[in-house]
Amino acid sequence: MSSFSRSAQQWATFARSWFLIDARMQPPGKIAAMCSVRLQGKHKPIYHAISDCGDHVVIINTRQIAFSGNKWEQKVYSSHTGYPGGFKQVTAAQLHHKDPKAIVKLAVYGMLPKNLHRRTMMQRLHIFADDELPEEIRANLTEELPQPREIPRKLSEYSQEEIDAFPRLWTPPDDYKMK
Amino acid sequence: MTSRGTPSRFLRSVLQNGLGRYVCQLKRISIIFSKTHPSSLGVREYIEEGVVDYAKKNPGTVVYVSPQTSTVPKIVAEYLNGNVREEIVICKTPQQISELFTKLTSQSGLDIIRIRKPIHTDSPSIQGQWHPFTNRPPSIGPIKPQKQLNQS
Amino acid sequence: MVFLTLSCWIRSRGPDRYWKVQELLKHARHFRGRKNRCYSLAVRAVRRAFVYATRSRKLKKRNMRTLWITRIAAASREHGLKYPALMHNLTKTSVQLNRRVISDLAITEPRTFLSLAELAKARRQEGFRAALGDGKEPPGVFSRIVSLQ
Repeated sequence: MSSFSRSAQQWATFARSWFLIDARMQPPGKIAAMCSVRLQGKHKPIYHAISDCGDHVVIINTRQIAFSGNKWEQKVYSSHTGYPGGFKQVTAAQLHHKDPKAIVKLAVYGMLPKNLHRRTMMQRLHIFADDELPEEIRANLTEELPQPREIPRKLSEYSQEEIDAFPRLWTPPDDYKMK
Repeated sequence: MTSRGTPSRFLRSVLQNGLGRYVCQLKRISIIFSKTHPSSLGVREYIEEGVVDYAKKNPGTVVYVSPQTSTVPKIVAEYLNGNVREEIVICKTPQQISELFTKLTSQSGLDIIRIRKPIHTDSPSIQGQWHPFTNRPPSIGPIKPQKQLNQS
Repeated sequence: MVFLTLSCWIRSRGPDRYWKVQELLKHARHFRGRKNRCYSLAVRAVRRAFVYATRSRKLKKRNMRTLWITRIAAASREHGLKYPALMHNLTKTSVQLNRRVISDLAITEPRTFLSLAELAKARRQEGFRAALGDGKEPPGVFSRIVSLQ
């Protein structure tokens, strides 16, 4: 046994971190994949399934998530209330309109392992629709994770010089009618 | 044999991995036998021949010889850590008993049970164990959302 | 475990059946419910437990290996390497450490693991350079990589 106590080292090893993810213009699946790894603790070399070494994850701006393709209209979230005729189906757009946190939450929930630890891990996930954070959560944050997808610039964000300098395939004639 | 049903322990050395002085862990050994019964014949022979040599060879061990009436002959070995081992020596030859004495003397007195891992160390980490901030650059000030960071 | 039954054996040999039952219940004492004291329930449970134990001796090796791989993957991602890249490049540099040792190093000796990761990174860059060659196309081939450079 070494001369100094190792309990402080032990506490440091199993300390919980708080990660911050900004979900603005990010695909929910990629956000959920990052979250599920960190909630399970699979990003630590001390990982063991029963040692409960998951971290806290804070997601902000879930109102501004971005689905690709036609998922807003065609992706369907189904549930059943248990009563006859209680089969509910809503599209992603409707669900997002009703609750801006629900899509990210369901995505993370589906990516966690299906065992008794799932509810515990979900309790360590903190989702906020906007970028307002309560002070007690803001004080805990240790690291901000890089966004998985680079946010594309809108046309309105480009300056006029950049638009003019953009290479063009052909110059429309003066009498060309834009459709 | 199931792994939960059988007792187990980690590999341990009472002799500090040979770093310290060797201390014989056998504290006391007593031979209990009968003076008359034929099952104690080998023990009686061993007491006549070899037990004095054994006691001279192992000055750190106390040897008791206790004749008792009509008992099963046995050897009771007590170790420094408090463990007591009893060995029944019915109808054993002096040669076998001598081997048993050597075995008991050389043992450490720890329980002879399944050892979980063939390796063990008391100080597993020299460089300090991994912790969440080992490979993370130190951040300056509290973490904020990026947009607010730009504004402030 | 202390075997108190041994001395009982010597004093009075009871009926054989009693000792047979005790021999079996010895393995069932930590079971839950009546299985730990009723012979007819315990005999099945013990048999099943032995079957599981036999099977698990193989499974344990498999599970431990997956655990080591998970841990190495987590540790190598901290240094910006994926698990296959790390292991492949370590074998290329003839580092003959197995996964158990590497995962132990990642936990207990993080700086040693860091140097291993640096080694793998350097070997990977070397491999990339070797694959790209001297930057010239072979005769008669137009490759996209060279034209992009």
